[in-house]
Amino acid sequence: MTTVPLPSSRRAAGIALNAGLVIFVVLYAAIALLQPNYLEPGLFMNFLRRAAPLLILACGQLYVILTGGFDLSMGAVATLVVLAASILINGDPDATWAVIGTLYVMGIAVGLVNGLVVAFLKVPSIITTLGTMLLVNGLALAWSGGAARGDLPDNFRNLGRLVWRGVPVIGTLPLAVVVIAGFVALAWWGLNGTVYGKRALAVGDNPRAAELAGTPVAVTRILAFVVSAVSAVTAGILLGGFSGVSVNAGEGLELQAIAACVIGGAQLLGGRGSIWSAVFGALSLFALFTLLNILGLPQALRDSIQGLILIAAVGASMWRSRKRN
Amino acid sequence: MTAALSMSGISKAFPGVRALDNVDFDCLPGEVHAICGENGAGKSTLMKILGGSYRPDAGTIQLAGTTVHFTHPRQAAEAGISIIHQELSLLPHRTVAENIFMGREIARRGLLDKAAMRRKAAQLLGRIGAEIDPQALVSSLSIAMQQLVEIAKALLLDARIIVMDEPTAALDERGSRTLLTLVQNLRREGVSIVYISHRMPEVMAIADRITILKDGKKVWTRPRDAAPVGEIVRAMVGRDLDDFYPAPPSSPPGAALLAVQDGTNAAVQDVAFTVRAGEIVGVAGLEDSGKGALAQALVGDAPFSSGTITLRGKPVTLRAPRQATAAGIGYLPGDRKREGLALHQSVRDNALLTLRSMAGLLARPQGGAFASNVIDGKLREMDVRAADFGQEIGTLSGGNQQKAIIVRWLAQASDILVFVEPTRGIDIAAKAAIYETMRSFADSGRGIVVVSSDMPELIGVADRILVMHRGRISGELPRGASEEDIMHLALGLADQPHREVHA
Repeated sequence: MTTVPLPSSRRAAGIALNAGLVIFVVLYAAIALLQPNYLEPGLFMNFLRRAAPLLILACGQLYVILTGGFDLSMGAVATLVVLAASILINGDPDATWAVIGTLYVMGIAVGLVNGLVVAFLKVPSIITTLGTMLLVNGLALAWSGGAARGDLPDNFRNLGRLVWRGVPVIGTLPLAVVVIAGFVALAWWGLNGTVYGKRALAVGDNPRAAELAGTPVAVTRILAFVVSAVSAVTAGILLGGFSGVSVNAGEGLELQAIAACVIGGAQLLGGRGSIWSAVFGALSLFALFTLLNILGLPQALRDSIQGLILIAAVGASMWRSRKRN
Repeated sequence: MTAALSMSGISKAFPGVRALDNVDFDCLPGEVHAICGENGAGKSTLMKILGGSYRPDAGTIQLAGTTVHFTHPRQAAEAGISIIHQELSLLPHRTVAENIFMGREIARRGLLDKAAMRRKAAQLLGRIGAEIDPQALVSSLSIAMQQLVEIAKALLLDARIIVMDEPTAALDERGSRTLLTLVQNLRREGVSIVYISHRMPEVMAIADRITILKDGKKVWTRPRDAAPVGEIVRAMVGRDLDDFYPAPPSSPPGAALLAVQDGTNAAVQDVAFTVRAGEIVGVAGLEDSGKGALAQALVGDAPFSSGTITLRGKPVTLRAPRQATAAGIGYLPGDRKREGLALHQSVRDNALLTLRSMAGLLARPQGGAFASNVIDGKLREMDVRAADFGQEIGTLSGGNQQKAIIVRWLAQASDILVFVEPTRGIDIAAKAAIYETMRSFADSGRGIVVVSSDMPELIGVADRILVMHRGRISGELPRGASEEDIMHLALGLADQPHREVHA
């Protein structure tokens, strides 16, 4: 019996990690070439701040992708969060924290619905979350009457736009960057510090085998959707902070989050990827948007390019995995 | 008389397997010619070649004296060969008439002539004595009725040769009788029938001649009268036991570990047996006997709908694999790739899957018993060979993959292991190692239920063999039973004398 030494999965993950990071470095270098001041710590921090919602959404989306699903409802949840926050708080700073708690409860409820339908009714996640996306979007618009109303007080908006100045070494530190760091650390811990990550990968790779090995497949899937929804609420809070209230605050973010994960090397339909796929994928995608902005490309082309990138990234990952087999 | 069908010198090899080796087979007009053989003897391959699905590596096929070469199933169908498979190929939401005329619709001025199709369908169904409304939806018919529709479809094409592959496998007594009567009628019309079946009483009732295939070779072809059941069975199985099986245990088995009473569900009925500490209990049976369903019930994958299971004297409910795992029952599924492995995860992660699945959610994935060096030690002990246990398990050989799944359950410290086809498709050395592991697992006071289609394997490794037939345990054999004994019970011949077997 001979065993052929093949690239280990650790090395494969390493390549994927480097791919996301390399793409980001290349794109950011291109930005810096056109606008050298992007190399200043202040502008880099600002770049991170603006990338924060996408980065957090990508981390949540990654959980679902690892288990073999999609979550299309996260953009709608982010919109709901922005609209609901302004209606419920209505300018009263004392209400902020209670309302944030309520927002998380709403988000978790959406995540639970997604997870329960996928796990027990066996509806494909792409259909389930398409349904909840329409449902949540509709409810949010109906509640707000189709236009932004209410008002967000400063203590809420600060979560997205507060920037501390005079910080040693880096000069400025946006609060959103602290939120990113905290969220990424938590998401990393969930996948690498607990057995959850290994279960999620096994479920995404082969749910039948996982079930027969005793893995709680349904719980694993449901948790992934809850994490995804929590990330959508967090992203929504940041969005409300620096963009203010609008009825299309979260539009299209779900696809950007999926694209980010794939660019970073996570495999659609599950079983492969790490938190760094989400982080560097999101940073790469946001750097690309920034670059297109600087180049002066029309906003509409951004969507087309995003579509191209998504297809290219998925195509590349399929090609890689076919070559491996 | 010119043979309606004559296949001579047919050979076919697949990577690693010689599926057919110089096989001759012929069938006269109006003859029922039965083919018997174990699973994997080459029956299906031979019929797929006849049906145009495979091309033979060597050999010729003649139909009524004319040599033919099929490159597509449609050509075979047009030449008058019709194959009725175990799995029916009807569209459930279409009517009987629509199914019969699928792909050969009658049209008038470009429009479907539904009335004509209904008439013709009724006529065909009448010819085979089937009282079926051509306008009924196929989904509303029983399996037996659907089979008749398939046959009507074959008659529409004016099939001269009809191949029936285990046609009664899904039928009850009455359905089987109807079908056998129909076969007699078709024979009288001069249709040649190739009949593949494991069911000896049927074969003895309708076959004019019988051909035995074994390991891709023809053993013999004889008229029915010259082929007593005992001879058939011996020809199907006759081979020597290999000596790589572990020695039987020196001490008698201990207390009952697992006991099943009246276990019943859709696939098995009134199953009752006990597994004692230190015992390896084999389960034999043909493909549709319910032996796989029994394993699935024991591990909670397809639970018993009634009956009781007790573990160490305590009743347990096993409604999901996770419950069975928690109760101490481990499962080595028959389909390694589809049911056993997360192919893109590492060897280590696959071996640790159950431990990590049963731990608390917040347990660290590399802590304590999950540490790489601990699991690596267990993998090495089992002699799993990989350049690096961090490599994807999909890159390992089948034997090493199977060993890694066994490590998964050894690590979980299960009391009972349910193995299904533990050595299917793996090499001899790994086989011997797996048998050795099974023996030492049992010798440590635990129990194994091993379900297998490989009879020498069961005879070599099991302390007792339960044989299943049509969802029931048709008999139990002690260590030292012969393949003929097992085959007799598996074929449901328990009541018939089988003196000639030992003659």
